[in-house]
Parts: sequence; C-alpha cells; structure tokens
Amino acid sequence: MTHRRSAAWALAALVALTPPLSSQASPPDIAQERAAYAEWLATAPNSPLAAVAQQPIGAGIRLGPADADVPIEGVAEHRVSERNGVVTLSGALGSRVVPAGRPISFGAYSIASGGVPGRRVVTIYGPKRKTKSAAYYDYATGVVFVGPLTPAEEPAKVRVLALDGIEVDAVEAGTVVVPFGGRPVTLRVRRIPTGEDESELEIYFRDATNDQGTYPAGRFVSLVPAGEGRYRLDFNRARNPFCAYSSAFPCPAPWRGNTIEAKVEAGERYLGGGLDAPRGLEAK
Amino acid sequence: MRAGVLALAGALAAALAMAGPGAKPAGEWRAALELAGGELRFGVVVERDGGGWRGRLCNGTRCQPFTAVTQAGDSIVLEMADYAAAITAKVSGDSLAGSYRNVGNRGPRIIPFRAARGRWPVSRAPERLVGRWDARWIGDFGTTPRVIDVRNGKAGLEGTIISNTGDYGHFAGQMTGDSFALAHFDGSYVYLLTGSLSGGGGKPDTLRGLFHAGIRTQTPFIAVRSTGAPHLKTVTENTKADTTEPFRFAFPDLDGRTVTEQDPRFKGKVVMVDVFGTWCPTCHDAAPELVKLYRKYHDQGLEIVGLAYEVSGDTAVDNRQVRRFREKFGITYPMLLAGINLTDAAAATLPQLQGFTAFPTTIFLGRDGKVRRIHAGFYGPATGAQHAKQVREWEDEVRKLLAEKSVSP
Repeated sequence: MTHRRSAAWALAALVALTPPLSSQASPPDIAQERAAYAEWLATAPNSPLAAVAQQPIGAGIRLGPADADVPIEGVAEHRVSERNGVVTLSGALGSRVVPAGRPISFGAYSIASGGVPGRRVVTIYGPKRKTKSAAYYDYATGVVFVGPLTPAEEPAKVRVLALDGIEVDAVEAGTVVVPFGGRPVTLRVRRIPTGEDESELEIYFRDATNDQGTYPAGRFVSLVPAGEGRYRLDFNRARNPFCAYSSAFPCPAPWRGNTIEAKVEAGERYLGGGLDAPRGLEAK
Repeated sequence: MRAGVLALAGALAAALAMAGPGAKPAGEWRAALELAGGELRFGVVVERDGGGWRGRLCNGTRCQPFTAVTQAGDSIVLEMADYAAAITAKVSGDSLAGSYRNVGNRGPRIIPFRAARGRWPVSRAPERLVGRWDARWIGDFGTTPRVIDVRNGKAGLEGTIISNTGDYGHFAGQMTGDSFALAHFDGSYVYLLTGSLSGGGGKPDTLRGLFHAGIRTQTPFIAVRSTGAPHLKTVTENTKADTTEPFRFAFPDLDGRTVTEQDPRFKGKVVMVDVFGTWCPTCHDAAPELVKLYRKYHDQGLEIVGLAYEVSGDTAVDNRQVRRFREKFGITYPMLLAGINLTDAAAATLPQLQGFTAFPTTIFLGRDGKVRRIHAGFYGPATGAQHAKQVREWEDEVRKLLAEKSVSP
C-alpha cells in the first residue's frame, strides 16, 4: 500500500519502548527472528549453508560425472531439463518433477528448482553443511526510521535477482528518503514476490561498512507496514544475500542509486566464505 | 516510567514463577498472530489425550485438529504437519507467548504469537455490513475482482472472500463502531481483512480497507454492495478442454499400480476427475461433497478419481499425506499420485486442459469419456448460498450425464 506524502522520514520514537536494561539489547522480536534464522540455517534442507551448486537449466544440464555441468561426487549421471516451466530430473531410475523451492532427495543430495518459467534454475544441496551462522552488530537504536513510501511514477516490472540468487519478476514500488548521517538519502524500493498473495518491499543497499565488516556486495532490508501508509525501516534487520554464505549462489548486482555514504553499523555482518562480490557494478 | 518498569518486572517474575513443568496448557485460548497491520484472531483448544495432548485451531466455530501437540518443559508445540508449520509457545500461567513458523525459501516465515485463556467475545455485524460486496483489490498494475461475503453466524461476524477460482476459506471477526476485522488462519494461509464501513444518509455504503496476507503484505481494497450483476467469472469460464477426444490420464495409485482412463471401472461410466491436493483447504471443503455424490450415485454409474498434486514430490511422503486425506474423509474411490502442486507442473501433466488455474478443478466426463464440464475452484461452506448452489449444480450435472445413453467411445 502506498500513499503520496512528505518524503521526510523521522527517527522512530522507539527508544522509550526498548527495554531500559541496555541500549544495545535487541528487542525480543529481533532476537526471536535471529534465533529462528540461525536454526533455519543450521537445519533447513534448503539452507544456503547446505548448497553445493546453483545452475541455470537453459537447454538442459548434466549432473554427476566429473565432466558434467555440475560434477557431484558419488552421483550417477542425471539430466535436468525445463519444459513449459516444469523442471524434470532424469536418471537411470526414471524421471521426477523438481518442485520450486522444495528440495527432493537425489541420492545423498537434494535438488530444488526456482526462478521464472523459461529461465528456471536448480539448486543442489549436499549432505554436509557449513557450520558458520549469521553474525550481527549490536542492536542500534539510531537506524530505525518510519515514514512514507513515495510510489513510482509508473509501476514497472523488473527482473532482478532476489537474495537467494534466483531471478524474480519484481515491481518498482517507489522510493524512500532517510536522513542518514545528517543527509537525506533516497533509496529505491522493489516489491519482491515471496508466495501466494505475499510479497516483500525490499531495499538492496550498499554502505560504507561494505568490505569493512559487512558483505562487499551489499545487504537487503525490508520495509514493514507501520499503518496509515507509513513504513518502518529498521537497518538492524539488514541481511546478507545468500552469496555471502556460499559461492554456489550468484550475487545480485547492487541496485542503482542505493548507496549510503555513511556506515550502517547495524544488522548482519560478514564472516567470510561467500562469493567474491562484484565491485563497481550496479544494475540499471 | 520507572513504576511501569517495576510493574513489568513484577509481572515477569510472577509469570516465570508459574512456568516450568507444572505449566498447564489445557483449555481454551483466545489466540492471535501479530501481523504488521494488526492482530489476526483465532482460537486454540488444548485437551488431555491419554498421557499426551491434542488440540485444534479454530476460526470462529470452524475448527481443525493440530497434527500433534507436545509439551517440552514450559513450552508447548502445536504442529501443523500438512504445512510443515508449528506454533511454539511458552506457557506462563494464563498466557502463551511464542511464534508461528514454517519453512520458507529465503529464511523461516515467522510471525509472533500470543494467547490468553478464554474465548474471543462474540461480535455481531450490523445489518448494514451483512451481505455480498463487490470488491476490487488495488494492485500495482490495476485492480482484480473479489467478492466479500459477510453474515452473522453462531460465533458472530463471519464470512469469506471469493475470487474467480474459489474462496479463501472461513473468516471470523469482530466489528467496533464502523471498523471491522475478519481473519482466517489455517496453519498455512494467514489472511486478515480490515476496513471500515462508510456511507449512509443517502450515500451508498462502501467498504474500504486492507487485505493482509502473511505478516506484512497489504493490499488496499474498495467494495460496494453487490447488485447481483456478475462481478466474478463463473467457475466454468476459467478452464477449457479438448472435448473431441476422451480425457486421458495415467498415474500411479497409492499401491503403485498405474491407473488410466482405460481401466474397466471407468468404461461407460460418468466420471468426475478431482484435481486436488491435500495441502489445499478448498479441496478439504470439496471432498465431503464428492464422497456424498459417490455414495449416492455410484450404483447408478458414477465413478470418481482423485488426481493428487502434492507438496513434496517425494513419493513416500506424498503417499502418506494422501492416505491420511483418504481416511479423514472416508474416500473409497481411487486416488492417484499425479504430481506436485505447481500450477504449471500440474497443467503439463494434463495437456488436454487449457487455462488450468486452480486447485481443486473438477472435470465431468460423460459416458463416452469426453469432457462435458469443468469447474475451476470450489466455493466452500464459508460462501453460504454460493456453496449450496455449486453443490446443487454438481449433482444436477451428474444426474444429467447419468441419464445419457451409454455409448462406446
């Protein structure tokens, strides 16, 4: 939902509501989200920490042998193809449909499909996963803003990589202006589909902490509706794209213009081990 | 401020003192998911079941069982296995606090949850709100039609939302002044309709508000009272089929035996093909009606076959889900594992259909095996008269087809 209003955002009056024990303590909802995310990373079959490869299907790909498009040790030859948007995994024992976002077993591995019809990709998950988890800055009270979203003049569809490295048909939702470091910064907002009837208003941004504590390619943060056409933008909720966890994932190119000159020392940090991030590259 | 902090600390200490192994989850709870745009109210009931627990999730008077209820220390876990979802909450005396979550693609889908003992108060809708409303969901690229159906039931304000392909399930809610909220939560779908009623005094009544899906997706809507003129597509307009050839299918049954339209049990019979999924709430609404028709007309030549499109794509898992569905509804007609629940994937397995859009889709075949009618979607009991009309149309169609002479395909 969008309403045209003054573009100025204000610091949310959150300080009075945070627990008085410590100004650095995370509110319970953020602590809960982070705990749930850590558990998901450690246990979910489609956790990026378990991914071994993500590959566009194109005209079809081979999995398994050493000379395959995706070599997988100990796995016999399989082929993956896409027809009418349906992804099929074929091997000596027959063929199976590969659902979107829901891994099916495949020997000791599992495989899921994703992306838009005609440009589907598959992600392969292995029996082992990396043990690292997400790390965060201490909770920061000065990076929570509430304000309006200025809608795009002409809403347009745009195909972008979501944080899981998979193409989605997003919508240019508009812009927000936040007073960061004493200067107004305009950030582009896109609506990213997340499920039936559901979507997220997301900002993929870069800031002065990139490569200096946070992932070099930037981070995602969501707008949360705050009532009466206003939104809460809490950079404590900034999170890494999946390419920060595993080089199996392609990295989204930072969205043009979404650069904050100041340091956003809030949200998720970078512990290393991800894809070498694209530098100096911005999407149109 | 300090006094407030002390009071909060006291309450917390009291709650902690009541927690632990002695926590008593049994009873009725007025529960809520805390969405960004407001609270989604529903009911939870937890009861003793031998040495363990059982429970149910209720939208107004409509309840569904949790697949498992377990207690771990001072926490209780309410599982909804069909949706790989669970509510985990700490029991502190007369309150529950925790979260609902299910597995997402880019991280867990997590929504704060809380509950207090008791039932939500019954709230009745004024006559001005009761009835059918022609609504428009306002999206990025224009509007899409919906119907909002509001009435007063045993638990007060209730209703549903209807699209071109079926309904969103049973909603229950409350009204305060001119503002209303109607909620539906089934373990997977998280829907809340909030808005206000304006008009009167010579001005037409209008509803304006937000449709909330999940924790933070909000779509504005506007609605005017229905005049009775068509606002949605009819259920037979969405999906078409090749009617020149017999309808073909070939899928394994739950014992792994491939069943096709050539099976002797279908020869010369009227056949209803139910394209469904055990994950699909509307399919749960349709199943009892199919069972009734089967029991009533099977001896006269009606056959039904269920084509299941399931979540996991794992045969063993999907087989288990469909068997549970079969037992739940007492289904005796064959059920086949046809594929996964992606519209594109399902459509690819039924190439004779054009414009496949909805689960369930019900295909009526004449005694010659050719498609006579296709219903995309299903209007569940929550739609009241529309549900009754559709059930009547199904039965009329079955009787009409049964009355046709047998032919050799």
